[in-house]
Amino acid sequence: MTDAARNPAEATTFLTRATLIQALLPIALVLMVLGFTIFEPRVISADNLLNITIQASYLVIFATAQMVVILTRGFDLSLGNTVSAVSVTSALVMTGMAGANGESVATAIFLGVLMGAGVGLAIGLFNGFAVAWLRVNPFVATLGSFNIALGIATMASDGRPVFNVPDEFSRLVYSGTVLGIQMPIILAAAVLVVIYFLLNYTVFGRSLYILGANPRAATVAGLPSRRYLMMAYMLCSLIAVVGALMLTGRTGSGEPNLGGNLTLESIAAAVIGGVSLRGGLGGVQSCILGALFITALSNGMNLTRVDGYVQMIVLGCVIILAIFLDRLRTSRM
Amino acid sequence: MNVRILQAQPHPETGLERASRVAATVGLLPILLVLMVLFMAVVEQKFFGMNNLFNVLRSTSFLAIIAAGQMLVLIVGGFDLSVGAVIALTSTVMAKAMALLSAAMPDQTAAVIILGVLAGLGCGVFIGLINGLCVAFLRISPFMVTLGTLSIATGIGLLLTNGIPVYGMPDVFVKEFGRALWFGLPATVYVAVALIAIVWFIQQRTRLGRYIYAIGGNLQAATVSGVPATGYLVLTYVMCSVLASITGILMTARLGSGQATMGGNVMMLQSIAAAVIAGVSLRGGIGRVELVALGALFLSILTNAMNLLRIDSKMQLVVLGIIVVAAVALDELGKRRRVRD
Repeated sequence: MTDAARNPAEATTFLTRATLIQALLPIALVLMVLGFTIFEPRVISADNLLNITIQASYLVIFATAQMVVILTRGFDLSLGNTVSAVSVTSALVMTGMAGANGESVATAIFLGVLMGAGVGLAIGLFNGFAVAWLRVNPFVATLGSFNIALGIATMASDGRPVFNVPDEFSRLVYSGTVLGIQMPIILAAAVLVVIYFLLNYTVFGRSLYILGANPRAATVAGLPSRRYLMMAYMLCSLIAVVGALMLTGRTGSGEPNLGGNLTLESIAAAVIGGVSLRGGLGGVQSCILGALFITALSNGMNLTRVDGYVQMIVLGCVIILAIFLDRLRTSRM
Repeated sequence: MNVRILQAQPHPETGLERASRVAATVGLLPILLVLMVLFMAVVEQKFFGMNNLFNVLRSTSFLAIIAAGQMLVLIVGGFDLSVGAVIALTSTVMAKAMALLSAAMPDQTAAVIILGVLAGLGCGVFIGLINGLCVAFLRISPFMVTLGTLSIATGIGLLLTNGIPVYGMPDVFVKEFGRALWFGLPATVYVAVALIAIVWFIQQRTRLGRYIYAIGGNLQAATVSGVPATGYLVLTYVMCSVLASITGILMTARLGSGQATMGGNVMMLQSIAAAVIAGVSLRGGIGRVELVALGALFLSILTNAMNLLRIDSKMQLVVLGIIVVAAVALDELGKRRRVRD
């Protein structure tokens, strides 16, 4: 919903400027990659570009998860720890089943995935119930489940990594290829396509935008706001489950601190890409852009051997700068 | 916050009405607090040991100061995710400054301490200014700004120390202040009480306090009424960071070394939890520092009680999470019932 859409007369005069500002972030992304190339030619090699894409596949999934709830003016602080809890519990089921009873590996993997999805959905249900029915502020509700999920993750594993996740699982979600394309890219693309259609072509998806843009209007219009809000939080956790299983396959073990900084990173990626924290604005493409931007930035800094601590400082500055640019973009349109 | 003034009371209040009004403004928190202390009195005598009470008081003081700052920012409708990182930055900068200065001028301990503390406070002012200027003038969402400064402050702290604790602060600072008892109470407690009193005074008796409520209640209305909102917004963020910085100084003095891992996201989340439990609205405009101090006391006692009862530390996380959500949900339900009445 842009100004141009509302006032067709102004559309032409603002078109060039609006397009320019709209393209600011993609331009910044390209300039940044080129800038790194000056210092380190390998940045732009095919291998590294593929590497960036694979790395970004993970972040884009978590950013998409986060976007679903940010659209409704919420956010999910528990996302990172949900990832940890899912990773640990699914790994425990997989190793337990595959080792002891001589069950087939496929069954073990299936049950592990089911377990992970169950844990994720339970956390999403908690968040959604607290936000939609108990009217607890999303920050507080997900702060609560942040602690709960962390508790589950460390309790289930005793704080230690769960090793011996079946190789078949790692091949399925990490090292395997289909038509020469790496599994993480395929899985991320699948998630993005599903969420794209959900957000744009279903009543539920369109309602999320209305819930964020104007909650009262949504209720007055007769939308089942509470149910949709709760479903949004469950969907967020479910998408996070996919990412968590992919990360578990990559490390080959269930890690109780896998989530770590994912919460803040996923919010940063979504918002840098153009998802508004005030709700109702954003889409799958924003998440792709934001995730690519953050991944390319840290990849470039790694290749040019920037100190890890300096990277944190740079990342902080870039987040603030990117949001400022984005604010210019949204206020001009 | 001015709603009560508008409610005319044509008939004199009965005792019951007054009691229910007080309960409505103060909330469930004090009742829960008393119940918890009574429970501990029955179950675990160690809770009332001198050492344990001092520990509770110290952690309450740390949390209350940082939560008071968080509350101010929440009242203007903002957020400060960077408070934990400010603690870490303050801790490393102050310890580093004191260590360098006391090596340079070993005889002038007083000057070393004063300059070191000033360097620490400077970190708070610095981060607070970045936060405030970005929020007020560039109109960037507080969540994202402070997420950025969280990363920046943590990075600087780690860069300065390489993650290694910084020793070499003057002994006097640690022994006579950080770990000292003044008139039978930890020194930290006096600092916390004084700071809470100052914030209370600002909130209740000064123009600054009223403006902070006004900006949070309705930014546009405040601006139209002539409140220089941008200036006061910056000031609020600086106050929050400075309070976090003071917490960092107290914690460093207690520990005896500067640590880049001090505070962190745990302190940040707890400061928000303490404020929210005390009824501070995340939508801005509502919040009282005396209740926030009570919220900090509640969280500290809860953690301490669970430690004494030997509840598994991982289980404690789960309990803490459920209690925070439940407290806010009850508060929210209570509010709705009152509106219906």
